[in-house]
Parts: sequence; structure tokens; C-alpha cells
Amino acid sequence: MSLTREQIISALIKIVGTDQVVTEEEVLKESSVDRFRRFEELHGVYTQPLPAAVVYVRNTKDVSALLKLANEQGINIVPRTGHTATEGGLETVVKNSVVLDGSAMDKIIKIDPYNMQATCQCGTPLQALEDRLREIGYTTGHSPQSKPLAQLGGLVATRSIGQFSTLYGGIEDMVVGLEAVFPNGEITRIKNVPRRAAGPDIRHVIIGSEGALCYITEVTVKIFKYLPENNILLGYTLEKMKTGFEILREVMAEGYKPSVARLYDPEDGAYHFSHFADNKCVLIFMAEGPKGIADATAQAIEVIVAKHPECVKVDTRYIKSWFDHLNWDATDVAKERAEIVETKNIGNTTEISANWDKINQIYETCIERIRNEIPDMTLVGGHSSHSYINGTNLYFVHYYNVVDCKPEEEISKYHWPLKKIIVEETIKAGGSMCHHHGVGKHRTPWIKDEYGSSYYILETLKKAFDPEGIMNQGTIYPRR
Amino acid sequence: MNVLVCFKVVPDLDQLSGSDWVVDGCSRVETRFIKKMINPYDESALELALKLANPAKVSGITTNLSALTIADSGANLTLKNLRALGYQQAVRIESDAELDFAPQEIAILIAAYIRNANDFDLIIIGQQSGVGDNAKTPLLTAELMQWPCITQVTAIENDPAGNVKVTSLADEGTVTRVIKPPCVLAVGNAPFSTLRVPTLKAIKEQAAVPIKTIRSTEIRKAAPNLPDSPDAELLKLEVVHRKRKSMIINGANAPEKAKILYHSYLKGWLADL
Repeated sequence: MSLTREQIISALIKIVGTDQVVTEEEVLKESSVDRFRRFEELHGVYTQPLPAAVVYVRNTKDVSALLKLANEQGINIVPRTGHTATEGGLETVVKNSVVLDGSAMDKIIKIDPYNMQATCQCGTPLQALEDRLREIGYTTGHSPQSKPLAQLGGLVATRSIGQFSTLYGGIEDMVVGLEAVFPNGEITRIKNVPRRAAGPDIRHVIIGSEGALCYITEVTVKIFKYLPENNILLGYTLEKMKTGFEILREVMAEGYKPSVARLYDPEDGAYHFSHFADNKCVLIFMAEGPKGIADATAQAIEVIVAKHPECVKVDTRYIKSWFDHLNWDATDVAKERAEIVETKNIGNTTEISANWDKINQIYETCIERIRNEIPDMTLVGGHSSHSYINGTNLYFVHYYNVVDCKPEEEISKYHWPLKKIIVEETIKAGGSMCHHHGVGKHRTPWIKDEYGSSYYILETLKKAFDPEGIMNQGTIYPRR
Repeated sequence: MNVLVCFKVVPDLDQLSGSDWVVDGCSRVETRFIKKMINPYDESALELALKLANPAKVSGITTNLSALTIADSGANLTLKNLRALGYQQAVRIESDAELDFAPQEIAILIAAYIRNANDFDLIIIGQQSGVGDNAKTPLLTAELMQWPCITQVTAIENDPAGNVKVTSLADEGTVTRVIKPPCVLAVGNAPFSTLRVPTLKAIKEQAAVPIKTIRSTEIRKAAPNLPDSPDAELLKLEVVHRKRKSMIINGANAPEKAKILYHSYLKGWLADL
């Protein structure tokens, strides 16, 4: 028989003490959702079952003891650090879940410039690590838009990616080792080495697991020399996204590695660029690294772009101004929340990836369908911001006015049908429905379509590591 | 009721970094490279007018909205969006003059437009703008029109008798007046006045409608009795450097840091109060 809320709280306090267990209703309400349900939240509507408690863990042993308790008693655990998730991964869909918050585990354990790696606890804010590294001339190379808010554990758990990914890679390319705790309380450490060929790379059982398999407590990432003085920004306006995709492809196929390679359509770009690119696409590159490499990369990009007469170079100061204000901090989030309440206009994003031969087709089909099928749209556009040798991502941006419906109906009337179009068109074309926000709970319905026959492997991981199904139910894996 | 809202598109000065605040040739700060926005007070004015018009439709009172800006073609996007939001008229006056610090010249052009149209009951303008920041334009416009002006406006409602109920901030709270138009309203810190967002469908419907554009010289010719030249000339701009002193309090934990803060700093200051 399952424990009552009071019994769960009492058992949690027995392990970590009273100070670490928070049961105030307001905290529980906020902890029952993430950004996916912010329209409901902003209107004071909470549709998800409230968790029994939020526990602020202090160390790995706490995590181990708490997971063991949950595993024995069948308590659903929702792991969390920076609380910046966008796809419902932090929603507490099971009554009396326990949110394990790792944000108090925020120590930078070691910065090792000789071996070019840094080790942090899961709750270390990425911004704090980046600031410390830059003071001594290094960088993580990781710069997601959520950098001022996100923490290392969550970034690894969601397979996050940053704005400089074309050079430095996604978080999966940066993580060299990890410590994680599994539901039975087992504490596991994967050592920090440059490479290994001793069987499958088990880091990838943990990276991207979104709290559905284990709890990440410590992360070691690569670090890089920080040489901003060599950065070269390039910006162009152009007429067609198709041309932009061709240029991105050529830059990648020829083997160049700009840190930033972004292509905006006119609708998405209007917010940032309408003062110099009214109704035009915008293509942006940044070359960085040692001076010789940065110079050569920028020069090569200019040669490639010059083959396309529709591209017009713009003054770098336009691009720099945009670049300096790209990230979102707490002030931006607060401003956005106030505007949503006042205007009933809300925006979200859906990110996918596909090979070069499919990306433009997905872009055009999704934009067309959303314009025609979803009511009250105020903006639908997209940009590519992470390119690879074989393809690129698309970051669809969609805003709508919430009209004639209750706050709790916003998702079913607008957000979910919109996401459905993008996900289904992407999978149909052979792309991936998630590029860097994770599956969360709102793309789980398509997880089997995403994986096809390889779902067997994914499913077996859950059976092996979380046989009782206590880890973040409904995230990645459909609810039991 | 015919309502004219005057607005301007300005650079978003929050996008300027400290090093960008360089006075170029003593007359301007370079803002070409930063993105633009509707001046926040003007944005409130535009939204308050929409709020005024929408319930009026319901109650049978017709409120026609016009939007006016003095700008180059960069403002067309905003004007089209305003049409999509329900502004029946969207007008742009083109001027070759440097108007950032010329409130009287701006007021003269607005007044000339109003006199020429000769059918506006209510003029709504943001009380000031980050660029220029003189807070004079609504007052000068009212003076030129010989109309009353209410400043610090936070809400505007229709009155059944054809008057307007205006709420504004005063020294010790808010004042609500029922006034008979015509008048000029200078909008201040109005709560809940973020401009609504037009749908793609509405924008598409308005896409083919051209924005009415008038040269400043034409509009002035049409209203010859207004002053010819501005009453003030910008001679020089200076960057004022304001610095705040700060220090980091070192302590083992938050309670210890709080103790140091209190005993070393706050206690003495509080005693002096």
C-alpha cells in the first residue's frame, strides 16, 4: 500500500532533516510545473497533482538514501536543478511525487587547466562556472540561452546545447565523466578520461536521461582557452531560407567550424533584426579560436557566401548588438511573464533536427500548416542555430493570442496541436523530433515513432535501471 | 469620437552597453545598430486608446482611432501592425530635420496635422521618451491647439454623455476627472498597458493597404499660423558618468555576512537617521 503524504514527508525528514524538506503550498504549486504550463501558472491555475514535498539535497549520500526510500515505497521522484525546463519534464504528474532539487549542491569542485577539465556539483549554475573560468582565461564553450539560470545537472540531463555548438559541440561532446545515483541507491562514477573503447559509452545512459533513469550529482566537462579578442562576427541578409541552408551546408561540408552558424527566417528575425533586415532572412557566423584559425574560418565563409549574390553583408555592429543581448536572465523572464498576463499573447519554441536534404521541406511544410491550421497565431517562424556535417536543426518559434478559452485550455487549444504538427512532420521526413530541449512529457506520445525499432534499447534501459518506475514518470517513457 | 495617438519608434537604449555611450560630434549617441521599439509611454498610449475603442463599440459609441508618427519608413512595420490592431488610420510624417531634441518642432507638426484634419476630439501622447527625454511634446501640442492637457494619465474611459473619464496620477494618489473633449492626454506610468499583438490573419488583411505618408513641408503649409522655427537649439550633449560604490562582504555564511553588514555599515547609518 502506498504511503500517505504525511508518511512520505515524515520519511523524508528522517533522512535529511526538517530544513531540507519544503512543504509550503506555494512552493509545491510552482514545483508542479515548468515553463510548458506557464500560462496556467501565471493565471494561478495548477492542473497537475501537487508534489508531497520539495527536498533540497545537500550531497550524494542524501540523494542515494532518498532514492532508495522512493524505490522501496513507490514514490515518484522528479529530479530538478535550475527549473528552466520547457517541455514539461518537471511536471509532477503523479500525486505525492517528491521533487529532488539539487540547486544547493552548487560547488565548483575542481578546475584543472592542465588537463583542461572542470568538475562541478549538479547545482552549479553554468554562469558561475563560466565566470570563474573566464577570470583565468578559459571557457566551457557552452552557452545556451538559459545560461544565466540553468545548472549543470539539468543541462546534462536534457542534452542541452549552446550557441557556440558548431565549434564546441553539444553538452554530450563536453562531458568527460559523471557521478549519478540510480533508483536503488547505487552511486556510480564514470571516470574522466579523454576516450575509451571498453564497451559502449555508458555516459550516454546518463546524458539526456531527463531524470527518468537516475539522478546526476556531479559533472566533469572539458574546458577551452577563451580568446574573445580573435572573434570575428559576420552577418548577411538574404531572400530565401533555402539559400541559407545551402550556405550552412557548404560551410560544414567543406570542414569549417565557426562557433556560431545561424539562419533566421524573416518572421523569427523580425524581433531582432527588423531595423536592418525588414522582411529578409539573416545569416550569422562567428569564427573563433586561435587567431590563425579564426581568420581562416571567417575568410572561407566569406568566399562561400560570395557565391550567392542574394546575400548582402551587413555592418558587424548590428550583429554584435544582437549577440550581446541573446541570453535570458531572471529580469527577462519576469518581463515576459508580465507581458503574457497583460496581452494574453504567449510564445513557445519547438526544436527539431534533420539531414540537409530534408530540412527545407520540414521548414516549409510546418510553417504552412501552422499558419493554416492553428487559430490566433501572431508569429510563426524559425531559425537554424546548430549545424553538423550531415544536417542542421530548426528552432520553430510560435506565438499566439489566447482567445476564448480558460487558462487550462491553452495547451490543448494551441500549444499541443502546434507541437503535433512539427513533431509529426519531422518524424515523417526522417528527422528527430527533439534537438535540444529533451522529450519532457509533451513529446512522449511520439517516442516510439521517434525511435522505431531502436525503441527496444531505450525501453530496456528503463526496465534495467528503474524497474519500479519511480523516476520522473511520464518523461521520455509513457506513464505506466 | 475621433482619437489621434501620436507615437515614435525609438532605439531600445537598454541594448546599449556602457562603452556605447559615446557622444558623437556633441549631438548624438550612435544608436543605429541597436533594435528599435515603440517608446514605452507611447505604447501605453496606443493600448489605452484600443481599450477605449473596444468597449465603446460594444456600447454603440463609435470611436475611430488614428495613429501618427514622424519618422522614416522604418516605422511602417509598426504602422501596419497598428492597422491590424484596429487603428483605422495610420499616418507617417516624413521630415528631413533632426527631431530628437526638438519638441517644439514635433508639436508644431502634430498640431498642423490636427488642424488640417480638423476632426479630432482627443489627442493621446506618451508623456516623454527615452530619446530626447524633454517631456514637453504633449504640453506644447496642447498649447498650440489651445486645448487643455492632462498629464500622468493612467486610464481613459468613455462617458455615456460623450465625455471622457480620465484617471491620472497626482502627488498623493490618483485623480479621476470627467472632461469634455477636445483635449490632450499625456500618458504616464499606466498599469496593464502593454500593447496587444495583432494576429497574422489581421496583418495579412492589412498588408496591401498603403501607409499614408505626408512630407513635413506639406503639412506645415496647410497650417500657416503656427510658429516657423523652434524655440530652442541643441548645442551640445555630454555623457554624465554616474558611479556607485560597492564592496563585497566576506563571511563564512549568510548570517555572518548579515552581521557584518549590520554592525559595520547599517547600524551607524540608522543611528544617524
